[in-house]
Amino acid sequence: MKRFAGVLVCLLAASGGVAIGQRGRGAAPVGGPPKAVAPIDLTGNWVSVVSEDWLQRMLMPPRGDYAGVPLTLEGRRVANLWEPASLATDGCKPYGAPAVMRIPGRLRISWENDTTLKIETDAGQQTRLLHFDPPKTPVTERTWQGYSQAAWEQLIQRGGQGGGLVPPPPRAGAALKVTTTKLRAGYLRKNGVPYSEDAVLTEYFDRLSEEDTEWLLVETSVSDPKYLAQEFLTSTHFRKEPDNSKWMPSPCETRGKK
Amino acid sequence: MRHSLRAVAPIVLLTALAAPRAAYAQIDLSGEWGTTFFEDILHRGATLVPGDNTGVPLSEAGRRKAESWDEAVVATHERQCIPHPVTYAVRGPGNIRMVKIVDEPTGRLVAYSLQGSYVGHYRTIWLDGRPHPSELAPHSYTGFSTGGWVRNTLVVKTTHMKMGYLDRNGMASSELATMTEHFIRHGDRLTVVTFIHDPVFLSEPFIRSTDFVLNSSGNAGAWGSCGPDQIVDELVDRAAGYVPHHLPGTVDPGREQFLSSRRVPLEAARGGAATTYPEYAARLSELAGAPGRATSTEGPACGGNRCVAPPPNDGSSVKVTKVQGRVFMISGAGGNIAAQIGDDGVVLVNAGTGKVTDKVLAAVRELTDKPIRFVLDTAADAENIGGNESLAKAGASGGRGQVAGAAIIAHESVLRALSAAKNSKNTALASVSPGSWPTITFAGELKDVQTNGEAIQMLHQPAAHGAGDSIVFFRGSDVVVTGNIVDLTRYPLIDTAQGGTFTGLLAAVNRIIDITVPHDWQEGGTLVVPAQGHVGDESDLVEYRDMLTIVGDRIQDLIKKGMTLEQVQAARPTFEYDGLYGATSGPWTTAMFVEAAYRDLSGRR
Repeated sequence: MKRFAGVLVCLLAASGGVAIGQRGRGAAPVGGPPKAVAPIDLTGNWVSVVSEDWLQRMLMPPRGDYAGVPLTLEGRRVANLWEPASLATDGCKPYGAPAVMRIPGRLRISWENDTTLKIETDAGQQTRLLHFDPPKTPVTERTWQGYSQAAWEQLIQRGGQGGGLVPPPPRAGAALKVTTTKLRAGYLRKNGVPYSEDAVLTEYFDRLSEEDTEWLLVETSVSDPKYLAQEFLTSTHFRKEPDNSKWMPSPCETRGKK
Repeated sequence: MRHSLRAVAPIVLLTALAAPRAAYAQIDLSGEWGTTFFEDILHRGATLVPGDNTGVPLSEAGRRKAESWDEAVVATHERQCIPHPVTYAVRGPGNIRMVKIVDEPTGRLVAYSLQGSYVGHYRTIWLDGRPHPSELAPHSYTGFSTGGWVRNTLVVKTTHMKMGYLDRNGMASSELATMTEHFIRHGDRLTVVTFIHDPVFLSEPFIRSTDFVLNSSGNAGAWGSCGPDQIVDELVDRAAGYVPHHLPGTVDPGREQFLSSRRVPLEAARGGAATTYPEYAARLSELAGAPGRATSTEGPACGGNRCVAPPPNDGSSVKVTKVQGRVFMISGAGGNIAAQIGDDGVVLVNAGTGKVTDKVLAAVRELTDKPIRFVLDTAADAENIGGNESLAKAGASGGRGQVAGAAIIAHESVLRALSAAKNSKNTALASVSPGSWPTITFAGELKDVQTNGEAIQMLHQPAAHGAGDSIVFFRGSDVVVTGNIVDLTRYPLIDTAQGGTFTGLLAAVNRIIDITVPHDWQEGGTLVVPAQGHVGDESDLVEYRDMLTIVGDRIQDLIKKGMTLEQVQAARPTFEYDGLYGATSGPWTTAMFVEAAYRDLSGRR
């Protein structure tokens, strides 16, 4: 019995050798606080490079321009009600979590503590906190940035080794997954294209190296049973900057009035 | 318990031994992927108009290239079947399919085939570590792609792309561009991040990210085909070689409507790297009161010189490139040399400068031990005929030519120019030994040669690069050798002292285009050996012809306005092409090319 058990242990170790090797190369995020086991470094200063949707992002799009946004009929009706004059009072509505990464501006990303990543924006002066730990008490307050639950991506492996007797361990991903809820209703675009407080935001944060530049890619998915007929997908890219010398904070309240 | 352990152990052992060990960092990208239109719909849909370059980091050359573009050009014969180039295909409004290509004996993933309704045709992304082809290899609309894994991302490098576009409104990508793509999968979502680097038409890399969703019930394969038989006459009452374009100062009528309807300042609409950063918002505020102004002090790309050095042709590196059929290209010994190889022996078209004939001979000997039978000269150029004598001596005509060695065939104008040069002290031709002179000449428009079971035609083209130009057409191999009529690394050398003219040269390029017949999707088919640069095909000639036509029309327009040569040169009619063909120093500068064109078009020789 002991002999067979020993053989099994050895075989399992051999079988798991792949996974161990994977951790060695891929830094599986286990065995430490999220900051310590981060597979990618997202901290630093980042600037958005507006090479997509330039007309809607750099200029004020006209009322009724919701091209590309899969609005429901109700969403269109609400978008068509928007008036430019309302910018003076609802200037912060385009700076909620579902849209703020799409606003031309700069990000400053840092670790608030071992389990919380902080994203600050200079455009609109918003702060997002990405919590790796679950909330200690139920979150009830709705805010522009909502409550963001973060986790390093884990790649589940199905089937394979041992016919299910030895389920393979999840593989370390190389991205940060963030799910955000408890949002205040806001705008997906500055011209009143709406999302409701029931919207759920799912994001993946990836790092890319391209020749001598470093890039941050934020893949965003917004689902909203009220105003969106399907998930609204965008992917927004930021180039790393050496410092924060170009940081130009401006509060959303006043930006809306410009 | 004991028995169950005994039963399980062998299973675990086998499983452990069989566990894949090389799969790490590979995410399965295969499947049908449906594109999404949530981003950039104004650029990807029908609403895109000429003049909307917003968000694209164009150089001033890129802006001018886009501004001269007339959408009627897509109706010309040679452009009707051009597929979306790889710089745009994934961005286009079509689904894609990623197919794994596996090495069957080992099961190793060696490539992905990227297919799609707007990709045009199959595109292979090699993952097996193979190198990219030589810089002399042909280009294509899909380019040549290799990939590797970085963490969980497939990173793909693409080179050898043809002149293409970034969007469907005339924003161009040059053949000197390269591209990197990052394929990132999270669950059922695939994001392809594309970086395009183009030293000619972009001042910064152009990044776009395109999202796809897994679409297991989809079928991206309905792309059909487009070949020469499907091309129709869309532009009636237009002369052959007509190239629609806008002269500087004229704009597409759609641009003004775009600017006013979207309230876009002209400067911003023209694009540029500065417009893509958040701080440009301040500039937009400044421009709000002056939406029609657009000024740029930016010069041509790369200071007016070709942005990537052409392959060396000084003998330091003599290379052989298979063209197709029986024809090879020997490069690096002056102008490109074509070599037809067969049982009868070797036919060379041109012979290089003669400074490294031993290397040329060694290159020929790599291909065959048969004798050189003929040397066909395309013109009287020192860089093409300097090697005639040595190469001919090393050959044997087999009873033709009345001389020992290989026969040298050229138009009689070549012999006339060489003999005249003996009494002249101001031409490089004076140094060409009489042993390099043609031994067989022809005076008419056509000379036929038949070797290695293949018909070869020398087609005389008068007053082009010089007076004695011949185009050499290998009919069986389907290869055309252009001589100095087409040089993919510089503006065409027009030897006015030998009777060369701009209009004659342009007519010669159009004649070659008439000879060439592409395969489907406007690539391949008849291949072209140019004076210098990579092996080409009809679409490369069309880009070259279009450049010549557009530059010629601009010079003609400036002449009509009464401008002197100096004023025309100062107006830089070649501006956006200088990064591809320009030179500010050396034996053939842009200024010399413009002068040759000006003197011909103005009649002031």
